[in-house]
Amino acid sequence: MKNITIKTSILGMVVIALFAFAPKVNKLTTTKTHIKFFSTTAAENIEANNYKSVSTVNTQTGDVVFSVPMQSFEFEKSLMQKHFNSSKFLDTKQFPKAKLIGKITNLSEINFEKEGSYIAQVSGTLEMHGKSNPIKEKATITVKGGIINASSKFNITLSDYEIAFEKGKPSRNIAKTVEITMEAEYKKEN
Amino acid sequence: MTRKKTLKIALKLFVIIVLIGGSVGYYLYNMPHRDVQATKTDFVLKSSDIVSEYLANPALANEKYLDEEGESKVIEITGKIHQISTDFNDNKVVILKSETDKAGVSCTFFAATNSKTAKLQIGNMVTIKGVIRAGAAFDKDLDMYEDVIMEKCDIVSN
Repeated sequence: MKNITIKTSILGMVVIALFAFAPKVNKLTTTKTHIKFFSTTAAENIEANNYKSVSTVNTQTGDVVFSVPMQSFEFEKSLMQKHFNSSKFLDTKQFPKAKLIGKITNLSEINFEKEGSYIAQVSGTLEMHGKSNPIKEKATITVKGGIINASSKFNITLSDYEIAFEKGKPSRNIAKTVEITMEAEYKKEN
Repeated sequence: MTRKKTLKIALKLFVIIVLIGGSVGYYLYNMPHRDVQATKTDFVLKSSDIVSEYLANPALANEKYLDEEGESKVIEITGKIHQISTDFNDNKVVILKSETDKAGVSCTFFAATNSKTAKLQIGNMVTIKGVIRAGAAFDKDLDMYEDVIMEKCDIVSN
């Protein structure tokens, strides 16, 4: 009887010890995202919204990934949406997904366990239209009540991604640099 | 004909052409988005089938389902409700996926159809019609499977 009690206690302590040392909040995943791009020229303002990107953040390594389905960008004007997807512009049938692969370079300054607001420095690559370019931007990470929210705003130069500019409508109505706004909401889970 | 009369006719013709051109331009610029639900369905499939089709050969599947201008195929997918959530645009998202499948089909509803999801229950079978935006794949960077993405969805039958 005494032997069983001791064995159970030891087993119990080992189990508790294992849980105590288990890494906290490893990989965050979400499909609750919003990516907006905005272009302003004298001719007109163009805005498109995408709510279908998938993202992961590894809180141990700082790795950040966003996978963006290009055909989910919606414009107010149907004609603009068709031009955007066409082979003359973003060729979304050939390149259906854009991807951002980055790393939080100041990971030690961010505590995913503690409520608060942190500025993350993110360095990585943005791949779009089959072209990759380095990206180095800031993001704001807010931790509150079991939810981790990440947001960022930055500019990209379309020619970096070999997005064609021909004479006529596209070149006059679309700015050379486009402003990207992104937001993602992650729930803590392992 | 006198020169004056020719000029008058030419001017009238010019005005007519400008008006037609302007109308066409105006119509194109304000052309409404395709009404997905009113569009005839291109393919009827089980969620497992479209997922395995994409995982087997994504290039072939994209060629079949995606359209160059973004007006991709309208599909009806039957599957088991795995999850129901809301996106940042306040639209309901229903994921159809059976336990044995590696990925599912994510169906996003819209303002006019969001309320239809209220009666849906996890575990039930349902058929949803919508437009495909992206296929299923294993993404090595995300280190996970991505679902097929469908938008502008509505329920076909329970």
